[in-house]
Amino acid sequence: MKIEIYDALMRRQASRRDVLRGTASAAALLGLSGAMGGIAGTAFAADDLRAQILQIPGVGKGSPTDADWQKVGELCLGPTKANVKQGEFAGVELTFMGLNNQNLHNFLFRGFLKPWEAYTGAKINWIDLAQADYNARLQQSIATGTVDFDILEMGAPFEGDTAGRGLLDEMPDWAAKQVEADDLVSYLKPPVGTWDGKTYRVTIDGDCHTFAYRKDYFGEGSISGMAEPPKTWQDVNAASKALIGKTDPLTGQPAYGYLDPLKGWGGFGFYFIENRATAYAKYPGDPAWLFDPENMKPLVNNPAWVQAIQDVLDLIAAKAYPADQINADPGTTAFSQFLAGTGAMLMWWGDVGSSARTSDTSVVGDVVGFGINRGSNRVYNRKSGQWEDKYNEAPNMAYLGWGIYVTKRVSSDEKKRKAAWSAAAHLGGKDLSLWTSAYPSGFQPYRQSHFNYDEWEKAGYDRAYIEDYLGSNADSYNHPNAAIEPRIPGIFQYYSVAEDELAKGFAGQYKSAQETADAIAAAWEKITDQIGRDSQLKLYRASLGL
Amino acid sequence: MSTVEGDLLHTVEAGSISASRRFWGRAALWLSALWFMASFVLQAVHELGWTDWGFANWRPVLYAYFIWAAVLCVTRVVIYGEAGKKALFVLPAALFVVSMVVFPLLFALWIGFSDWNLASSVGRRFNGLDNVRRMIADPFYANALLNMILYCLAIAVEYAIAFGLALLLNQEIIARKFWRVTFLVPLMLSPVAVSWMVGKSMLETRFGPIARLARWLGWENPSFFGDPLTARLSIMIMDAWTFIPFMMIMLLAGLQALSREVLEAAEVDGATKWQRFWQVIFPLMLPVSVTAVMIRIIFKLKLADIIITVTSGGPGGATDSVTSFIYREYRDRSNVGYGTLLALVYLVIIVVGMTGLMKIFDRIVKRMTGRL
Repeated sequence: MKIEIYDALMRRQASRRDVLRGTASAAALLGLSGAMGGIAGTAFAADDLRAQILQIPGVGKGSPTDADWQKVGELCLGPTKANVKQGEFAGVELTFMGLNNQNLHNFLFRGFLKPWEAYTGAKINWIDLAQADYNARLQQSIATGTVDFDILEMGAPFEGDTAGRGLLDEMPDWAAKQVEADDLVSYLKPPVGTWDGKTYRVTIDGDCHTFAYRKDYFGEGSISGMAEPPKTWQDVNAASKALIGKTDPLTGQPAYGYLDPLKGWGGFGFYFIENRATAYAKYPGDPAWLFDPENMKPLVNNPAWVQAIQDVLDLIAAKAYPADQINADPGTTAFSQFLAGTGAMLMWWGDVGSSARTSDTSVVGDVVGFGINRGSNRVYNRKSGQWEDKYNEAPNMAYLGWGIYVTKRVSSDEKKRKAAWSAAAHLGGKDLSLWTSAYPSGFQPYRQSHFNYDEWEKAGYDRAYIEDYLGSNADSYNHPNAAIEPRIPGIFQYYSVAEDELAKGFAGQYKSAQETADAIAAAWEKITDQIGRDSQLKLYRASLGL
Repeated sequence: MSTVEGDLLHTVEAGSISASRRFWGRAALWLSALWFMASFVLQAVHELGWTDWGFANWRPVLYAYFIWAAVLCVTRVVIYGEAGKKALFVLPAALFVVSMVVFPLLFALWIGFSDWNLASSVGRRFNGLDNVRRMIADPFYANALLNMILYCLAIAVEYAIAFGLALLLNQEIIARKFWRVTFLVPLMLSPVAVSWMVGKSMLETRFGPIARLARWLGWENPSFFGDPLTARLSIMIMDAWTFIPFMMIMLLAGLQALSREVLEAAEVDGATKWQRFWQVIFPLMLPVSVTAVMIRIIFKLKLADIIITVTSGGPGGATDSVTSFIYREYRDRSNVGYGTLLALVYLVIIVVGMTGLMKIFDRIVKRMTGRL
């Protein structure tokens, strides 16, 4: 259905039934016109659809609303209709557990799935979890055998805990075809999404942390005094210290440099110290940077990691952060600080780029630039136990992307199972995913087809910006020294305890960076022993391809 | 059970129940009891090896328990006739208490002395006194305990403010009813809402009005939750703001129940306002005061929501209460065994502490009211 028709129907307060009827009529007409020589066929071609959805609401036209999400969901129903008859899932009720923060994730899913519910007849009940609660809730459901959801939004790091324990339903072939899984960027292809050779996931997101910076802070005569944005973490700290006492050129508020989140976020906060650490600890050619692949001993207290922690402590000591930074979690640094005009530099998942230009909360859209994770002018070689003075960079593939999974609860009911996978496939659809990449969604580009700059340009992004933004994602995905997250059971317990100890270290509860790192290492050793060192070692090595 | 059985046997009239009826009743009882015990042993030893104690795995034992309980109720009547019927009034409640209190407590004790990580497929492992040793050596838990003492001491200030407000609202002031309702508003709000209103908005570092005021007064970079001392004070203020109305309303009710004759007699005797308050009103209000303070202490011992919402125990665990510490130990770190032990120890501390406090308050009340 063309967007103008949809808008006209909405203006007339057409009911969902009327809209569907209109869609069916339009489809019938399309079929007829195709048979008569394809007079209007091109209007419904995939390219046209992608161009149409990218105009909802249009870059520079304010944040998308629930009506927009529904509109996109409606327009992207084509692949669902090819596999499911209208009303086929009448009477089916599914429970969907997902993330609910910053008005992203589940908020969008609701809108996207409303047209799907109207067409299929299925009903979805929602379990919404805040980011800080997500890991604990999922882990407890797994551990206590109380999986009370049919569809699950989950990251690949949890595949060891869920697929490894037989809690997931294997993806049917038709769903894999519907979502065109071959289009995924390389690092999200199997083994990600699979376990023991079986596929379990519809990918809806790619994950890597990229560097975002304020262009107006750097250049000739800028307040940082630096002609170029920092290339290394050493430069980042130097710039942050140089900005103390200066005034932000955009907001007139005090200027700040790099925004480290110093408060935990249910385990997700650990990725941010990783960003600093990978530059020091991820030695080219050596895939291991979290644990020793020979004995599962933590590497988190080696000199490289200690240096990363020390970097943060240095900025705390220099009072280079905003006053209450000790209470800033990653959500705060990205949304309340950087996008709102506080701070010059940030590491965050790629979607900060689309949010900067298309979210009402952003004031930095015109002055923001991007790059891959910053490097270091020296790198620690864990095998030799020595620092080496050479430039090193290692983008952090933090989290391996969100995906939609279907649980075993539906396996015995074929109708329910098909409904669950249909909902998952709808959310993971190729066209819909383009929209989530381009607008605030909590998801970043993750398909090869997302890197077609022309499409983004037509949506309203300017070429230079999109090359910068998408380029930082592509460069990270394709980097030869990318730091890949291991898919091992309990990974978020390691992260949770680590960010907890880090918070203590940042608050001065430990005497030094080394003591903080040692506390994390001790806690990690305990977790490894609890879960089982041999099995963890085996899975860790497998995740590294060893 | 034997005691109950013995007592019941004495109440049964000789010869009123046939021997075969008693035999079959006892047989059914023993069979169901044996089934219950056997299912327990089989489940523990053969199926699970004493490690995996999830509810789903123990469902057969639970069913056996319910059946045994039902048979127990029926056989009371079969074996003991009328006397057995009396026992039926008590049995369901007793079985319920055993199910809901005794079993969970024993279960918690077992977990408290085990090492249990939620990600581990091995499940729980008994680890003796390891958790106790860890608790004794844990400086962050000790800090949480000290915080609890600090937070509880703040009740003295809350009490003074609440008493003052109660005295004020007990006077004939303009728009008294309006003020009474206004002062009660914080109590009607959820502590989480208070956390957002006060902690996240009023005290917000950049744009919060109190932070702006602090800057105007010369505090260059006010960070109410960034420093351990101010963070603790801010938590105490938010908690007090929420619950002072609770104490106020109790004290106000107490003031209005005071005998007017006593107060008037003191006035006639020439007592000053201060003397009337300190030597008459305050002692007479002591029983109400003790009740209000004790209830407030119970509230305070559970303090967690404001802390979790605003600081997550930070900076670096500085503001943790015992409850928030246990919550984070369980939720964030998945240390179920250690968290359970801390909860049990806290329960003991509360019971012992509250009992001691009650005795102290009792003495104070007796001493002060004795002067009257």
